[in-house]
Formats: sequence, structure tokens, C-alpha cells
Amino acid sequence: MSETAPIWIDPLGDYETKVDARSAPTNAFLPPQVPWDETTSFKAKLHRIGRLRYYYKWPGHGSRLWWRTRYWPTRRRVLDIRGEYNRKTSRREKTIVDKRPIWWAMAFALFAVLPFILPQDTWNTVLTAAALMCIYGSINLAWMLIIGTAGIFSLASYAVVGAAAYATTYAAIQLGLPWWSLPLLGSVIGLVFGVVIALPALKLDGLYYALLTLGIVELCRVYVIQSGELGSATGGLFGAPSYVPDWLSPPLRQMTLYYASFALMIIALFVYRFVDGKRLGRLLKMAPEKKEAFAEACGIDFYRARINVFLISSTFLGFTGGFYAIHFGGASPNLFSFDTVLLSLSMLVIGGIGRSEGAVLGTVIVVFIDRVMIGIGPLRYVLIGAIMLGVVLFLRGGIFGIKTQFRIWRAKKQSENRSSRAEKGGEMLPEEATETDNKDEIYRRRFDKAQRDFLKCLVTDTVIEEHRTRPLGQHSEALERLLIYFRGQTQVDKYAIMVLEDFKAYRIVGLSGRRGTPPRVVEDRTYPNANEAYHALFLRRVQDLMES
Amino acid sequence: MDFGLVITNAITLACIYGTLAIGLSITWSSLGLVNMAYGFIFALSGYGAWLASLYISSSAPVIFAAGILTGALGGIVVCLCAFIPIHDKPSFPIRGLTAALAISLAGNELLMWIFGPRAKSLPQLFGFWKVNIFGVVVTSDKAGTVVSALFLLTLVLLWMRSSRRGLEIRAMMMNPHAASIVGIGVRSTSIYVMIMTGGLAGLAAVVLAQTYWISPFSGITPMIKGLSIALVGGLGSVPGAVAGALLLGVNEALTAALLGGQYVLITQFLLIILILILRPRGIAGILDRAREA
Amino acid sequence: MNKPEHAVQRRIVLDVNGLSAGWGPVRVIHDLDLKVSSGERVGIVGLNGHGKSTLFQAIAGLTGWQRGSILLEGHQVGRTRSQGPGRYTHLVVRRGLALIPQGDEIFHGLTVEEHLDSGAFTRRAWSERSERKKKVLAIFQPLQKLMKVPVGRLSGGERRMVAIGRGLMADASLFLVDEPSLGLAPKIGKAVIEALLAVELGDSAMVIAEQNVGLLEGRVDRIIGMHAGKLKGEASVLLPHA
Repeated sequence: MSETAPIWIDPLGDYETKVDARSAPTNAFLPPQVPWDETTSFKAKLHRIGRLRYYYKWPGHGSRLWWRTRYWPTRRRVLDIRGEYNRKTSRREKTIVDKRPIWWAMAFALFAVLPFILPQDTWNTVLTAAALMCIYGSINLAWMLIIGTAGIFSLASYAVVGAAAYATTYAAIQLGLPWWSLPLLGSVIGLVFGVVIALPALKLDGLYYALLTLGIVELCRVYVIQSGELGSATGGLFGAPSYVPDWLSPPLRQMTLYYASFALMIIALFVYRFVDGKRLGRLLKMAPEKKEAFAEACGIDFYRARINVFLISSTFLGFTGGFYAIHFGGASPNLFSFDTVLLSLSMLVIGGIGRSEGAVLGTVIVVFIDRVMIGIGPLRYVLIGAIMLGVVLFLRGGIFGIKTQFRIWRAKKQSENRSSRAEKGGEMLPEEATETDNKDEIYRRRFDKAQRDFLKCLVTDTVIEEHRTRPLGQHSEALERLLIYFRGQTQVDKYAIMVLEDFKAYRIVGLSGRRGTPPRVVEDRTYPNANEAYHALFLRRVQDLMES
Repeated sequence: MDFGLVITNAITLACIYGTLAIGLSITWSSLGLVNMAYGFIFALSGYGAWLASLYISSSAPVIFAAGILTGALGGIVVCLCAFIPIHDKPSFPIRGLTAALAISLAGNELLMWIFGPRAKSLPQLFGFWKVNIFGVVVTSDKAGTVVSALFLLTLVLLWMRSSRRGLEIRAMMMNPHAASIVGIGVRSTSIYVMIMTGGLAGLAAVVLAQTYWISPFSGITPMIKGLSIALVGGLGSVPGAVAGALLLGVNEALTAALLGGQYVLITQFLLIILILILRPRGIAGILDRAREA
Repeated sequence: MNKPEHAVQRRIVLDVNGLSAGWGPVRVIHDLDLKVSSGERVGIVGLNGHGKSTLFQAIAGLTGWQRGSILLEGHQVGRTRSQGPGRYTHLVVRRGLALIPQGDEIFHGLTVEEHLDSGAFTRRAWSERSERKKKVLAIFQPLQKLMKVPVGRLSGGERRMVAIGRGLMADASLFLVDEPSLGLAPKIGKAVIEALLAVELGDSAMVIAEQNVGLLEGRVDRIIGMHAGKLKGEASVLLPHA
């Protein structure tokens, strides 16, 4: 290719007239295939568009797409199944949106058959640990209601349990109450105790209240240790009636203890579900931390809801305290010790605060380490502490929060990468591409972008000069391509020339593209003749092309 | 009833618990961390001092230095585990609290595993003597406690008021975001803070070991008392902590003298609850007006 | 401006190349280039929400994520970060950046004097802070009487003066001033800008972000427009003297 611009000669000129053919300097000839290949060949890394499928799609639900079983007395479905139509395969599919009920059912089944699958010689350790785990689990579930649902960081749950256990044992010894009355009495005591410790929660901020409740636990411990009536000499107060009949054989006794504790945990799960998932829980989910003011403005009395949850939970903790008394035949100051609170908190934290499955799984893990791995001595607490520390440092919502946390992290990374790499020259962004139903549009835009990239390399000073001298008529190939592209633009915001006065004043306007809506004025310049207006309009379009 | 004894007891206790409370208070207000591992640092520095007295020398300066250094070391450990990894993550206050509790759990049991459950004792550091001031008999350990605690506290507070690092810490207390804009590294400053508060815990441990024993769980009760004082004083306020320490010290000594030792905690918590219900932000709400906003 | 008395060798203080920054999924700054040379006063003008503050925050490392190179005095301070806003800010500040942020970001409990001291935390500035304080007080006269007053008790205009004074205390080669007149009465805002324009820059440079072009027009060396995360105008002009 020569350095000087080649001359274009009008091919029609020669045949019409005998005068010199019209000519104009133009771009050197460039086969359109070359820039086309350059702009469409993939140099950049390709990124996936769309979303991964996170759910298994079950085929063939027949006509039951909108048929769902609900169970009494709620309106809930047994399984949350979503039916959908797959446009790609033209088939109907179903997705199990929430698989948690399946996991719960499997866990319950495992708990129910636990005594039968364990060898008899491990019953002493494992079954006792399992019974203890169920009791801890129910305390933790009630505590989870306070910390997770109500959002009150209280450490006084064990104070309530212990107070109920001590009071019921004391009453049983003094009055000779039967075993079944102790949990009921415990509930009343728990409620009263709950009212007392809920009062400061009305006024104090989160951490202040946490420290205060820690003090209350310590207060109870010191009082119990020093009080002669509550068995400071014997290391606990014992003598409460047991719910296990005396005539049972030892293996049967253990089974009874285990199943009774298991039943207690199921009651706790129901309490959790009916508080957290119903009106109170919903109200409180509307009022998360730092958004209380907004909730209040929506008319939610979240203080009242919190205190109600606190009191319900305290009542249940009292019930558990009464159960503790008839399960272990009394109460010990261990209930109030700082270590018990810490261990229990570690259970909540490891499982994940704010979810019932977290409370149960955390309890299983910690009780297993604490009671079954006795062989390693105090190191097992170091292990628990290390697990707890790791969970707190790396996980936002405990073990059961891993999935959500991972998805949040992935979404963040993806959107960061997209927003920093997406070259929005008209091509659809990946997010848009997944949302749009008309996939042709994706390719139309991609083609349009490639075409514009090609046309951009045709715009040179010589081409513009050519247009300036001869806006109408036959043009060189480069200019002709540009003009054809400009003509094919959509009507919306297309530039046009408006004649203000014939042969005297012209103006550039932008078409609205809608019938009845007048064009808008683009600039307030008027042009004295049509050719100048043509050229100004051309320049405008070229500028828009270069900027796109 | 011997008022002199009551007053000296009150002042001694106030000094020890006040040291702990000020340590906790500074940590809370500058780092936003409720250092629940303070009891562990306390016990750790007690053991550090005990090891020093066993293997190096049993002279008072060595033991003090060992206690304070181990405390500072414990502070660094807590800072590295519970503050630096999560300080800019969401819901840091609760997570930091939990992380510190986890350190406390693991650390105390580790001490238990290494040193065994038997309590250790330090030699008498201040000798055996008595002074009679205005008819009040002051024993050597009480005088030594008060003097050393006051000395170190004054040193720390003066340093905080006047030096560049002190200004750094105070600036970070007020507005961590602005602090990073003027060139204060949050993480390096947090290390200084934790070294300082850990040293305070070490001092309190050595001094309190004169009356209590050193055992793996000996730190928990002092920590809870220190926390209560910090609460009463208003978390984050040094003058509030001093006032709270005096108040609770007087209460403890008076209750012990009038009602008996087992009622100390009961009256103490009733007092705390009363104060907190009257002033939800503690005594500091009255003392310090600039903290509003 | 090509003034003969400034014919001393000029350095590029700030060289931003291909900077993109944003918060989470939002990209606020798009592939931005900016050069600032020493002794220069640059105004960045743009409407609310077009990325002026985010540009400053990106230079200080305070945005959610950022890509691209930022050379401050020849040192790379921009890194590809995706988390931890503010984690490296103090290191950037020690390299010689003074950011005077939008909204005052003051320390409520410190007195005005301590506050000014706190502006000079970098080691070199700390040793000569009394002279620096004198200079700042000469610019902001009203602060002289308020030296012992906690900043929390000052009025909005005084707070802004303290915040700007704190920034000027630093031993910085680049001053970034974000919306100095925002939220102030027009008169006070004008006075604050006057004071900023009166600061002797010497070897350092100053970038002022403003919404109000009228306050800066004709009084700074160049004005750059900012629109939708991109700079319009003489963003990367070469130095007046090579």
C-alpha cells in the first residue's frame, strides 16, 4: 500500500459525459474481510454467560405441577417443590427448593433407632452422652430463640435452667411433689425468673446486657456454692424424684432416659419452630440489628415481640430445668459455671446462630468431643475452643452458614469481575444476557458491535473531507459503507434535518421514533444550505459511532 | 467494726479491680473488642511470674517484670487471634466477643493441661511490715498493691495523654475510619493497645497473687469483677472506671464487714443493676459530656 | 499554567492509569487516567454521584474494590484489591497523601490542638508539628482562640476548618480535598475555598473536588469535569515543563 491516499474515480462518470470523471482521494483499499477477521476473532478470554444449575431437576411430574400436599394444622407443604417448564428440552421438571425436611427426617430416624444400632457395651458412654446432648440441645434451642430470634445477647440461660432445677428439687424435697409436676413448676419459676432478668434488657444495649447476664450467672453460682440449704456441702442438691420406674432393668432404664430426653428435644424443636417461624419470629425478622428504627416506623413493636420471645424461651428453659431435676435427680452448681456457659455458647456458635439445625448439630459435635473423647483429657476443651475460634474467624453463620456465605462470596467475586471487565460497547452484559428471553438480541448486539468496530477503522480525515466536498451522490467504498450503516439505524433518536426556510435555514433534530411525538432539537445552530447541514449531521453520527 | 480495715481493704480491692477494669475499658473503646480472654491473660501472667520466681529469681522486680511481660505476650496472642483477622468484618463486636471467649476456653484448659489443677503461690513481694497512718494499720501487701497499681496506672494514663502513641490510641477510640485517613494503622495500633492492657492484667495478676492463688481458672472471677466495674463506669471511660472501682471496692469491703463474705457478689450485682437501670451508659454518662454524638 | 518562575523541574506527583473502582457489583469509576504534577492546583467538577469522592477514596484505598495503577510519587499505591476497604490507607497516607474527606470525619473528643497534631502523625511531620500548626493557624485565624476546645462542640464551619487544617498539617505531596464547601453557608464555604487557594503548595499538589464550578473557575491551574465515572477535559495533560 502506498503512503499517499489513492484516488477514487467515479465509475459512472465516464459514460455520462465527456468531461473528466469525478474523483476524490479516499482510503487505501482494505478488503473488508481483514478488519472483520480482526474484530471478530477471539483474542480476549471468553467468560461464561448465564447461571450454573444449583439444583437437581427431577424429571416428569406429570400433571401434578400445581398439586401440593399441605398438612394440618398449618398451610405448609411437606416439601417445597417448584414445577417449571424447560424451554430447552420442552419438558416439565420439578425442583425440590428446600431439602431441609428430608435431612430432618433422616436425622430423626437416626436418633430414634440409635439404641438399636449401637452395641450394648457402648450404651453407658454413648447413650448417656446422647441423652445429655438432647437436654443440652433443648436448652440451646431455647437460647437460640433469645440470641437468634429475639436478638438479645443474653448469657443467663443457664441461670434460668439452674434456678428452676434448684427450686424444683428443693420444693420436691420439702413438699414431696410427684415427678411430673416438677417441669410444670419449673416453667412457672422460669417465667418469673425470665421477667426479672428481662427488665434490664429493656434499657440496656447488647453488650452491656451480655456482661450483666454473665454477672447474674456468676452471682447464682456463688450463692449456690455458699448456701448450706442448697447443698454446698454435698456439691449439689439431690433428692428429686425420677421419672424412671424403679422396676426397670438397667438397659431399659438407659433407654427410657434417652427417649425421654429425645422427646424433650422434639418439644424444644416445636417450640422453636412455632416461635421463630410464626408471627413473633416474622415480626422480629423485620427488625434485624441496626434496622430497628425502620421496623418501628413500619409499626412493629419489636420491643414487645423481643420480650415475648424472651419470656416464652425462659418458660421453656424453666421446663428444661425441671426436667433436668427429674433426669439427674437434682441439680449441681456446675450448671452455673462459666465453663458450662462457654461450652454451650460454643455449641451455638459452631452450629450457626439463628437456625435450629445449627443448635442441634453444634450440640452433637461439642457433646461428642466433650463426653465421648474423654481419653484426651483437658485437651478436648482446647480442641473445642480451637474449633470455635476457627468458626468465628472464618464463618459468618457457623457450619450451616457455609453455603450462604460461599454463595455471597461467589456472587461478590462474579459481579466484581463482571463490572470490571464488561466492555459495554453495546454488547449485552452477562447479567442482561441471562435475563433476556429473546436470545437473538444477544447475537444481534454482538454483530452490531463487531460491525461498529469495523466501521470505526474506516473513519479517516480523507473520508470526512470527501463527504464535506460531496455529501450526496456516488461515494468511495469506505464512505458508502458508513452511510449505509447510518441509514439503517433505528428511528429512535435518529438524526434528521429540519427545513426552517427553504434554501436558507436548516437545523439538525433527533427523531423521537414515536408517532405523534415531535422531534427534539439537538443543537441551536442553523445551517445556511442543505449540504452544510448534511455534513454536520454526518459528523454528528461519526462522533456517536466513535464514542460508542 | 474497724473502719480503718474497711477503708484499706476497699482501696486495695479498688486498685486491683480498677486496673483490670481500665484495661478492659481501653480495649473496648479503642478496638471495640470486649476482651473476654482477659481472665486467661490474667492466669497466664500469674504462671509466667511463678515460673520466673522458680527459675530466675524471686526478687520483686523480676517477678513483676515477668508477670507484665507474659501479660503483654498474652495480649499479643489475643490481638492476633481475635482482633486482626475479623476487625473489618461484619458484626465484629459479637464475633470478637465470641472469639475471645473461645481463646479463654482453650487457653484456660491448656494451662490446666500444662500446669495441672494444683494452685501455685508467689513469694511475698513486699516483705512483712506494717505502718500506722493516722491510727490505721496498713500491712505491707496492701501498701505495695496500692502503690504499684497506682504507679503503673498513672504511667499508662500519662503516656496516653501526652505521647504520640497515646494520641494515636485515643484517636482510634473516637473514630477508627478517620484514624486510618490520618495515617494510623488500625492493626499496628491494636497491637500496642493489647500489649498495654495485657501488661496491666499481668500487674494485677502478680499483685492479686499475694492474696489469692494462681490456678488455671483464677482469672475468671477477677475478670468478671473487672467487667462489672467497667460496666458501672461506662465502657470506654477511664475516669468512669476509676469511680466504678472505688464504688465497688467500698461496697465489697463494707458488705464483707457488715453482712459477711458470701453476700459480696449479691450486693455488688444489685448495685450494678441499680446503676445501670438509672444510667444505662454507666457513671461515665455523667462525667463525660464530649462523648455524645 | 506555564509561568516562568515555576520553571523548576516539575515532577508528576500523581499518575493514575486505567483505574476502575467500585463497591460490590457497582462500578463507579471507569478506566480513568489522571496526571497531576507538583505545584499544581487541580479542580475536579462534577455532579453528585458521578464518582468524585470515589476517585479520592480509590486513591486512598478506601473503596470496595479497585483495579489499575496509581503511582504516588513514583510508588505504586493502587493494587488490585477486592476487600478490606481502608486496610492499606495508612500506608498510602505515609507515602505522602493527605485526604480531606467529605463529611468531617473528626475525632469528637479531642481538642482542636490535639486534632491538628493528629494530622501530623507521619513520623517526619510529627517532629516539626509546632511550625506546621503556626502555618495552619495563620490560614484559619478563627481557630486560634479555640485550641483547647473539644471538636465535638464546634460549629459546622469550624469543624470543616479543623478537618481541613488537619489535612494541611500532614507532610504530604498530594492533598485531596473533597467538597470543601459542602453543607456550609455560601459565605463560609467561599471563605474556606479562599483559604484553601491561599495555601502555599511549594512542591506538593492539590486536587479539589467541587460541585460548584463558579467557586473554582479561573483560580486553579486547570479544571477537569467528571461525568459518569470518567474525566472530561485535560485529565492527562503533560507537564508544562519536561
